[in-house]
Amino acid sequence: MNDLRPDLTTCDREPIRIPGSIQPHGVLFVLSAGRTVEAISANAAALTGRSAGEALGLSLEALVPDLDPELLDALTGPLPVDRTQPLGSLRRGAVRYDAMAHAVGPHVVLELEEVPPGQADSRQIQALIGGVVTHLQSVRTVAEGLQAVARTVRELSGFDRVMIYRFDASWTGTVIAEDRNDALPSYLELRFPASDIPQQARDLYRLNRVRQIPDASYSPVPIATRLGGPIDLGFSALRSVSPVHVEYMNNMGTQASMSVSILIEGELWGLISCHNKLAKRVPPEARSACDLVAQILSMRIASEAVHGDAAERVAKQGALTRLLAAMAASPNYAAGLATLPDALLALTGAEGAAISHEGRVTLIGRTPDVASVRAIIGWLQGDGDQGVFATASLPAVMPAAADFADAASGLLALSLSQVRSTHVLWFRSEVIHTVSWGGDPRKQFEAIGPDTRISPRKSFEAWRETVRRTSRPWSPAEVDAADNLRRAIVEILLKRAEEMASLTEDLQRSNRELEAFSYSISHDLRAPFRHIVGYAELLSERYGEQFDEKARHFLHNITESAHTAGKLVDDLLHFSQLGRVQVHPVRVDMNKLMSEVIRSLAFETRDREIEWHISDLPPATGDAGLIRQVLFNLVSNAVKYTRGRTPALILVSGRVAETPGGRETAYTVSDNGIGFDMAYVDKLFQVFQRLNRSEDFEGTGIGLALVRRIVERHGGRTEAIGEIGRGATFTFALPERAAERI
Amino acid sequence: MSTLRPILLVEDSPKDIELTLEALAKCQLANDIHVARDGVEALDYLYARGSHQGRNSGEPAVVLLDLKLPRVDGLEVLEAIKRDPALMQIPVVMLTSSREEKDLVQSYKLGVNAFVVKPVGFSAFLEAIQDIGVFWAILNEPPPHRLSGAGSNDL
Repeated sequence: MNDLRPDLTTCDREPIRIPGSIQPHGVLFVLSAGRTVEAISANAAALTGRSAGEALGLSLEALVPDLDPELLDALTGPLPVDRTQPLGSLRRGAVRYDAMAHAVGPHVVLELEEVPPGQADSRQIQALIGGVVTHLQSVRTVAEGLQAVARTVRELSGFDRVMIYRFDASWTGTVIAEDRNDALPSYLELRFPASDIPQQARDLYRLNRVRQIPDASYSPVPIATRLGGPIDLGFSALRSVSPVHVEYMNNMGTQASMSVSILIEGELWGLISCHNKLAKRVPPEARSACDLVAQILSMRIASEAVHGDAAERVAKQGALTRLLAAMAASPNYAAGLATLPDALLALTGAEGAAISHEGRVTLIGRTPDVASVRAIIGWLQGDGDQGVFATASLPAVMPAAADFADAASGLLALSLSQVRSTHVLWFRSEVIHTVSWGGDPRKQFEAIGPDTRISPRKSFEAWRETVRRTSRPWSPAEVDAADNLRRAIVEILLKRAEEMASLTEDLQRSNRELEAFSYSISHDLRAPFRHIVGYAELLSERYGEQFDEKARHFLHNITESAHTAGKLVDDLLHFSQLGRVQVHPVRVDMNKLMSEVIRSLAFETRDREIEWHISDLPPATGDAGLIRQVLFNLVSNAVKYTRGRTPALILVSGRVAETPGGRETAYTVSDNGIGFDMAYVDKLFQVFQRLNRSEDFEGTGIGLALVRRIVERHGGRTEAIGEIGRGATFTFALPERAAERI
Repeated sequence: MSTLRPILLVEDSPKDIELTLEALAKCQLANDIHVARDGVEALDYLYARGSHQGRNSGEPAVVLLDLKLPRVDGLEVLEAIKRDPALMQIPVVMLTSSREEKDLVQSYKLGVNAFVVKPVGFSAFLEAIQDIGVFWAILNEPPPHRLSGAGSNDL
């Protein structure tokens, strides 16, 4: 079954460059070397007095006598292939022709265009161009200058209506400026669908900047040719246009048209589109002047784009630099980003942002809720989740996003770390706006008759459409800024990983060195102390009888000092080994541990009057041996520093408490001993810090440091409260579940 | 020949040798004590080779072995003894300054019979040596299959 619906791309396939005919306002010759006529338009007969058939094969001079020798010379000289070159004018009777030629392969296309009566005033043309140049230089933005450009082109060409028409990324065109009289309606701000100017027409407009149709009701003039193939008229001024286009013009109510391309960096940015209600011919010099105006406008647009872009990029670079500094100053880059919400939003010109890092979502500005943000991230991940993603209409690609289209119609998303699942999302809210189309864009073509030849729409009545669930689009500079942030973060991550690797290596090396050092101390430093004690004791044993009291006192001091030194080494080693030893957390019966500790202090407490107040202690979770050490150190300290108190009071209690960090079990050892000055509380738990003279209370100054180290290795905390002469209270708290730090 | 087999003390520090000998003397052990100054000497003694070629004093009752030794260290000597079926039955006591856990673990892995950290105090050291001496040099019966070997006339 035949599908009778017109295909919107039908126009795209129409061979517009080789129509095989021209418009009737001039004659066309195709010449080979030696100026032999290979093809000729049928209307040349009026000029040459011979039929097209007779003309083929003759030389141009034979066919058109009295031609200017300069023109003939120019025809044999090099001619441009990408534009047609004016070659002066000639007169035949009352008709003046402007000659122009260009090369197509081995041939020359010579066109003689009839010049309408009435002389173009070249001084006026110059004045008009000068005026528009000055104006374009004086305006702050191109937008302010567009109307003047349209007016100038209208004055140069004399059309009823001149529009400046701009394409968007999808080739939809919008009329952004217009100058007109009352002969034709205003099309200002109307949109025209991409299919109005099909692909191959746009391609041709890019190459050949100016074309005109002086009379849409013209009858095409066929070209007689003795060449084998079709003739490419892409650069011809007289080229006959598509019948669809002529119909389109008729439907618009315009008989004459001209369009001039506005090219930026070789790409079609827009058109200066001119229409006349009645037939109208624009002489070549006026067309050239319009082209010049279009080119001046192009340059002004390009320079503004470059400058505007540069200014925007500089601003974004500033935001990026601040964000980088914040990320560098923060241990985690995602947290760093969140510290500068303004810079983060400024970077992409967003109204809201979300940072998702390892499952945690931080919201900034106007955003959907956390659950919706997670849904978007899930959708991104399902969609491949790579690099940068930008859309001005998220609901169009993610239907579930319709629910939060108000805050997030526009989405710009960065996927940063696949492993740790980090995303930065920027949002733009919905902008509901009305678009006026030049006719209903859904009815662009109407099939006419049973042949499926298509016909352009008949109505150009403004047709209004409300666009929803769409945000302001993300500009290339904004998308680039997001991508720059992504690159910078990836670099930071790589650099951090390298730093971590090198730090780990350093740590491992210094750990190995420390281990070797303490190993060596444990062997070599202990031995001399052992020897001193050994020999001193042997001496006292064998020869003690012969010594006097003083000598025995000296010997005793030698032994005691060496003993102390040996114990110091042992304690220190013990302390340093704690950093390396494995902790094995188990359930510890603290009541049992407490009785063991008291029992092991039997020697120290043998002649003392001590009142023990020991509550029922809740069990702890930790390494039994190490927890015993903590309890022992605290209780033996209490025993030691209550020396001289009669009775000495020692209270031991424990309780389970809820803290913001979870459940913990805290144990307290209090005494009525000598206490300490709270001013030195920070020194209490440091290695070798003693708050008392060593002759008053023996010890190496390691006990409390060991307590703190053990408790911290369990993820717990220690604290001390004291008052000189009034006793001290030490507390250590262990987390309910021994932390993963162990 | 003594009915008791000798004690082999492997120790490089002259002071430790002197103090250990003092301590052993206090135990009033009748065993001969042979001192080796490093791992090589100790192994030469055990294998009756080198300067101990033709030695006729039988296998030691116990080896008191310091951990840190020149040339071949204590752990290597221990490993050599416990790997050799002819020597593995000889009790070896590590006698060391080291409190390092890894030394202890390694020694037990290699099959040490006892591990003694030399205390700083001499009296404590004395007690330790006495315990070792009494247990390993006097009470510890040599394993039966050794009896049919070099030391058969020990009975």
